[in-house]
Amino acid sequence: MSTIYPRRKALNGIMMTLCVVAAAIGLAWLGLILGALLYNGVAGLNIAVFTEMTPPPGQAGGLLNALAGSLVITVIAVILGTPVGILAGTYMAEYGRFSKLTTVVRFINDILLSAPSIIVGLFIYELVVRPMGHFSAYAGAFALAVLVIPVVVRTTEDMLNLVPNALREAGSAIGAPRWIVIRSVAYRAAMSGIVTGVLLAVARISGETAPLLFTALNNQFWSSNLNAPMASLPVTIFQFALSPYKEWQQLAWTGALIITLTVLGLSIIARSLTGRREG
Amino acid sequence: MASTHILSAFDEELQYLTRRISEMGGLAEQMCSDAVRALVNSDSALAQKVISDDVMLDSAEREIQEKAIITIARRQPVAADLREIVGSLRIAADLERVGDLGKNTAKRVIAVQGTGVPRSLARGLEHLSELASVQLKDVLDVYVSRSAEKAEVIRLRDEEIDAMYTSLFRELLTYMMEDPRNITTCTHLLFCAKNIERIGDHATNIAETIYYMTTGAQLEGERPKDDTSNTLGAPGL
Amino acid sequence: MVSLEKIAPQQTNGRAKIEIKNLNFYYGESKALKNISLQLPERSVTAFIGPSGCGKSTLLRVLNRIYELYPKQRAEGEVLVDGQNILDRSQDLNLLRTKVGMVFQKPTPFPMSIYDNIAFGIKLYENLNKTDMDERVEAALRRAALWNEVKDKLSASGLSLSGGQQQRLCIARTVAVKPEIILLDEPASALDPLSTAKIEELIDELRADYTIVIVTHNMQQAARVSRQTAFMYLGELVEFDETAKIFTSPQEKRTQDYVTGRFG
Repeated sequence: MSTIYPRRKALNGIMMTLCVVAAAIGLAWLGLILGALLYNGVAGLNIAVFTEMTPPPGQAGGLLNALAGSLVITVIAVILGTPVGILAGTYMAEYGRFSKLTTVVRFINDILLSAPSIIVGLFIYELVVRPMGHFSAYAGAFALAVLVIPVVVRTTEDMLNLVPNALREAGSAIGAPRWIVIRSVAYRAAMSGIVTGVLLAVARISGETAPLLFTALNNQFWSSNLNAPMASLPVTIFQFALSPYKEWQQLAWTGALIITLTVLGLSIIARSLTGRREG
Repeated sequence: MASTHILSAFDEELQYLTRRISEMGGLAEQMCSDAVRALVNSDSALAQKVISDDVMLDSAEREIQEKAIITIARRQPVAADLREIVGSLRIAADLERVGDLGKNTAKRVIAVQGTGVPRSLARGLEHLSELASVQLKDVLDVYVSRSAEKAEVIRLRDEEIDAMYTSLFRELLTYMMEDPRNITTCTHLLFCAKNIERIGDHATNIAETIYYMTTGAQLEGERPKDDTSNTLGAPGL
Repeated sequence: MVSLEKIAPQQTNGRAKIEIKNLNFYYGESKALKNISLQLPERSVTAFIGPSGCGKSTLLRVLNRIYELYPKQRAEGEVLVDGQNILDRSQDLNLLRTKVGMVFQKPTPFPMSIYDNIAFGIKLYENLNKTDMDERVEAALRRAALWNEVKDKLSASGLSLSGGQQQRLCIARTVAVKPEIILLDEPASALDPLSTAKIEELIDELRADYTIVIVTHNMQQAARVSRQTAFMYLGELVEFDETAKIFTSPQEKRTQDYVTGRFG
């Protein structure tokens, strides 16, 4: 044997060490962030957080209006964005698979997918808030819906593309019209993947702050008026974290922890759905 | 066969069968002419050799059969390959029968020893055996060349042997009628002549098999027969 | 026991169920089938054999026009089923496919229960009450020799079955919509030998009621199940004859070379 083999072995060892170190550094920061979040967030976690409104400076309170606001805005955004996303994805994967339009839509969708969310916020501000003359929960939901669409389009298309063509052919081969094949065969086969996409979209928008700043703004109080500014968790965290008041800062930590846990939970559910599909 | 199989081991197996058949053919051919030579010359040593050669022929046939069956099981041959292997089986069986007939003839050498085979009869037998030997030799050449036309020609030539056999039959009958003391010898010689005639039939069978192997079609129709011995001696003849 | 009638060459006195006339097929610019003319007799099994890319699957896919799912594929010529040209523009594709069923290489059970897999196709064109539907599903599963294996778990997912069972489920699903012609595209190539044998036995039974066309890579399979065999090479029909003839004394050298394994 020549000297090549020992050299390769040594090089292999060096490369492996570098990779492990790089991975460890990445994970370390993540661990530190989660650690700090847990350490600071858990301290403020109590029943009042879920039952009381955001307090005025210097007083104790909770995050109820922010949590409710986030929930309302998110739900509306998902209701608005999901059907559009699924139908567009269906067009791309089924009817328009071989068309030029699909290539164009996919390209634009990918840009939208990675567009900074603040731009989306500005866009909706110009489109909705300015003409209406005031901030509103509607506008916030629109902004988030715009963020939901590309995620759902992408996962729907990808998941439908994963459905083997043979299955579609089999559907067509017993005389089922195209739409029935899509509805009864392709959607069923891709179901868990599409649901995963929606969950990931929810995870993505539930932490968004920037678009909401321009649209739903914030509200110190409970509001069920969709046509008026509404509180949301990310914006509240943003505002409270920057404040000099100790109570607000504590609530910001706790809110951050709640968002993180929610996103984590959604990711785990999404992951387990895809896992089961492949298993 | 012009082109070769993708699987070269299959080609080797087929070539092995062809080679073994040719070897068998050479041996069978040798045995026939030896047997008649031993008969005519009352050479019991040569007769003994023929008898022991038959063991080799028998084992060669068994071996070909086994190899052919294994090849069928493993390669699942079709079309020309299948015909080739089935043909090998049939030819091997024919050649084995040729060997048996040679052996049977050789065995009779001892029985007719010392009785003195009449010269004309001996010549007749020799001629008959020559015809059969040529037939066998030619058919084996055709086996190597795989020519359907030549196979057909050989098949038609069996007529000559049949005619020769009929005339020998007639002659032997005459001898027996002349002197009943000849009956033992003549009966043995009659069987020998019959054996040689049968060898010719087997050569013809082989020609037919070769025709089938090459073309995939069976030769139709009764083949020409000039063996009228079966009606000879019937009342009115 | 194989009856003599089964292996004896069949007189094609059965009328032609499918008549292909001067068929050409294109994938975009490239020509995949070159002037194919062929008559497939009724209630008989016809096999298409040939090396990969010879066009045998393409030819099969013309017979129910499944190729129409993809753009840039087109067929020219005539394919008459019961005398009617199915390549005609006015031909309703969904109705054609209820008449000409197809089973694919990989088992393709729909992601639903065993029962629904069968009922799915029936529901498309017939309005049956529960009892009638149950009967139809059972009949189809029995026809595909699967009933005894699945009768206690009809609500289980079709995907929970073994490969061979899935394939028989697909055959049952095809049979359930009462087609007249069944196209089989390498139906056993993904299966183990025992499952393959069951599929072949099934084909043999279905032969009495359906016109069956099977594409197979496995020549022995073609020899076992079919009555006629068409050998295709590079988009051409090289030889079409009784299966017995193709596998004992083919007329064309290319056929001979292919069936004996001499293709380079």
